[in-house]
Amino acid sequence: MRFLALLRKELRESLPWLLLAGLLLLGVGLLAVHSEARFAHMRHQHWSSHSGLGPGEIVNVYDLVRSPHLAWVAMWLAFIAPGLGLVLGVCHFWVPLFARTWSFLLHRSTSRMSILGAKLAAAILGLLISLGLVWTGLYWYACRPGLLPIPEPIQILVVGWIYIAVGLVVYLGTALSALSTARWYTTRIFGLAFAVLAAFVILLQWHPVWIIALMVFAIAILFVQTVAAFLSREF
Amino acid sequence: MALWMQISSGSESPIYQQLVEQISGAIARGELRTGDKLPAVRALAAELVINPNTVARAYTLLEQSGLVTTKTGSGTFVSDPALRHADAAQINVLTERMDTLIGRAVNLGLDRNALMALFEKRLEKFASTLDKGEAENG
Amino acid sequence: MAEIVLETKGLTKYYGAKPALDHLDLRVPRGCICGFLGRNGAGKTTAIKLMLGLLTPTAGSASLLGCDSTALTPAIRQRIGYVTEGHRLFRWMTIGRLEEFQRAFFPKQWDSRLFAEMIEYFELSKRQKIKHLSNGQRAQVSLALALAPNPELLVMDDPTLGLDAAIRRQFLEGMIELIMRQGRTVLFSSHILADVERVADRIVVIDKGVLRADCPLEQFRASVRKVVVHFENSAPADIELAGLLHFRRSERQLELTLVGVGDAEVADWAARAGAERFDFVEMNLEDQFIEFTASPHRRRLFQWEKA
Repeated sequence: MRFLALLRKELRESLPWLLLAGLLLLGVGLLAVHSEARFAHMRHQHWSSHSGLGPGEIVNVYDLVRSPHLAWVAMWLAFIAPGLGLVLGVCHFWVPLFARTWSFLLHRSTSRMSILGAKLAAAILGLLISLGLVWTGLYWYACRPGLLPIPEPIQILVVGWIYIAVGLVVYLGTALSALSTARWYTTRIFGLAFAVLAAFVILLQWHPVWIIALMVFAIAILFVQTVAAFLSREF
Repeated sequence: MALWMQISSGSESPIYQQLVEQISGAIARGELRTGDKLPAVRALAAELVINPNTVARAYTLLEQSGLVTTKTGSGTFVSDPALRHADAAQINVLTERMDTLIGRAVNLGLDRNALMALFEKRLEKFASTLDKGEAENG
Repeated sequence: MAEIVLETKGLTKYYGAKPALDHLDLRVPRGCICGFLGRNGAGKTTAIKLMLGLLTPTAGSASLLGCDSTALTPAIRQRIGYVTEGHRLFRWMTIGRLEEFQRAFFPKQWDSRLFAEMIEYFELSKRQKIKHLSNGQRAQVSLALALAPNPELLVMDDPTLGLDAAIRRQFLEGMIELIMRQGRTVLFSSHILADVERVADRIVVIDKGVLRADCPLEQFRASVRKVVVHFENSAPADIELAGLLHFRRSERQLELTLVGVGDAEVADWAARAGAERFDFVEMNLEDQFIEFTASPHRRRLFQWEKA
């Protein structure tokens, strides 16, 4: 009941941004899928095949995938997802600082962890629905028989989801930066810097094991640090 | 019973004292008669927006000086004037106040007769209670 | 002996090398309205935030309703109402949504009728967004949100700062209304001494992070006094009197500001000092507070005479 109230509040608060990101992705996606002419010339290039997954090969993704439509959309997603992560992090953790609403929010008949949990859950749900759902929907749509000459491979779907997970990494980094009580802005930015660095490193990998391992590692570290910072911080 | 009281915060006089003075003044002038019920503590506190304890304190002081009596469960009532008395300390306070008054009159240039005339005139205001008191005291 | 609902023991908070609060020992009994007084920056907000577990003490402890402030349980928080400094609420929410939000945390005790009545009395609509409200209106919503859960303990951090007299009066009415219910306690910090005098039965005075007074209001009012002592010839320059805060001296008069000195002691001293007579000067709470918290070496800000 209480957790739901917190979750509802966080979701409603960031709804405009979620809608913006989701609609942007949808728009770009539909545009790409229906712009056969635009991408036609690429189909005649020579394709080599790699067995790897590597989002780091996004530059070469036109090699990887037989059809470039969603690859192009995935490039957009590579910016939209971390962007949304950043914006959500700002909404959840920076805005209360400037609006001075932490005092009001923290005096709740629930544990402090719940309050943090609601924010995290809202971010994850937000990313899942506004980006994950739209992206998966686009993939399903693009795979409908007769729409595209060559069906999109499943790998591109996974690539998109990896970008969305990177969005979560950036979110946690933003949160950590906001919660940092360091005086100097250089040290304060550490959380976000770490997240961005981790994102880059992840995106440069091509082996699925490395991608997953680094992702889990980055999220775990950032999560633990964020929880610790939140529970001990003074407001 | 309509007793409209006005207290001012930020005054040198504590609020309970203002209440005591207004109520006792009303009793002295006959605006409140024997047996009249004073407003309930909580009602008066809510109306004047002051702490109920302040009202309670004022009522207690009034009771101590014999002006009112409290019957548990029923409320606080103006008491029988025959029961009123003044102790030495209260007479002292009264004397001090009189001195202040007379001092002020002297500074204003009033002579004895003028002062007495003024005094008699003001006494009329309290005629009802004074005369009743005299009658009862024989 | 009334139960203590709010207690601090040696509560200390340092920001860097400076103590914002220095060994605060406070005990607020149940059933009273306690006015928390202090000049700007004296440490009132720090103390309140420490009590509510928003800050952690450098030393010492605080407890509300018997529970340590650094570990306030949800059950305890449910019994405490808190009006924050500045009445900062979620700007994007409507009053109605804010009610829903707040209500979720006080499921069994929310008085929706009271909330609705208060909103109506303030001439607000539940569909108004917080960002479209003035400071005063936001404060009113804040008050309604704090009173509707019928809290056992209401803590308010400078709730009437910058508000007009009518709204200040509404806050006082709210406090009185709450205190008349069984076993409620209110702690509020304020600069408006006239307001404090109306409703408080206890006051706590903090000055530069140090506790200066924690007593019933009447006791404070009766303790801080001014006496003008008249001398036949020359008033003494040195004064030895316990409880002297400061004094002013002119040729044949001394104006002493005293704290906690009884009539008899004053009479004693006056006799020993050879005074002709002395008169007590009545002060209002604001003057008493100013005198009480003035530094001992204070001068007037502007010097009018060169004597």
